Amino acid sequence: MTSQTQPSEKSMKRMRNYVEKYRQKSGTSAHPNREVTDAVVLGLAQNVDALGRPLCPCNYYPDKQAEVDASRRWFCACDEMKQYKYCHCLLFVTPEGKPITEYLPEDHEGRQIYGRVKDPTPDKGREARHRAESTERTV
Amino acid sequence: MSKPQEFTDANFQNEVLESDLPVLVDFWAAWCGPCRAVGPTIDELAEQYEGTVKVGKLNIDENPQSPSRFGISSIPAVLLFKDGKVVETLVGVQPKERYEVALHQVAA
Repeated sequence: MTSQTQPSEKSMKRMRNYVEKYRQKSGTSAHPNREVTDAVVLGLAQNVDALGRPLCPCNYYPDKQAEVDASRRWFCACDEMKQYKYCHCLLFVTPEGKPITEYLPEDHEGRQIYGRVKDPTPDKGREARHRAESTERTV
Repeated sequence: MSKPQEFTDANFQNEVLESDLPVLVDFWAAWCGPCRAVGPTIDELAEQYEGTVKVGKLNIDENPQSPSRFGISSIPAVLLFKDGKVVETLVGVQPKERYEVALHQVAA
């Protein structure tokens, strides 16, 4: 079964390095439960091997290849992370293991699940915040 | 000790939609971190609600028809079924009490 295929060491190393660097860049932390992080990094690495892209493993896609071909939206770091600093995969979180939700629209599922979780490092990350702000203005 | 059942595309109709008991289905994937975080809660609920609610898991990578049918996108997604219909959807890592409240409502 493809879901259980072990990713290559090359992709694992690449994703581990990427995740660590992106945490520093975004001012986020690892989840305190290491199993959470390890699972996501494995999923990302497997998607790199299978699809050539670090497609988020915390979504269901009817057709993964079609998703990759259509959009970069769910390539890690995904659009939600770059715009709102929200990672529903719990890869980039607060030191307490909560996903940052304060920038999300109030009707976003992240706000409904986790409430308002404040960003401990507001000077970092959100490199695509302008896209979120332009969306808010048009709503 | 009761463990969560394994639901599949093949048994979904019989085990979930035609079940006499309400059913909790945890749509998950092996390499989804938050699914790992929810797993122990689902295990506890299976034991706690044995005989009143059927609790189980469905691996979305191995069973793609069911998540498509029920509009799953972000996982983990926990759906509660009663009389073959979805009565509650809980996405993400929720506190155990949130699942319990929903289960009390469907089991009532």
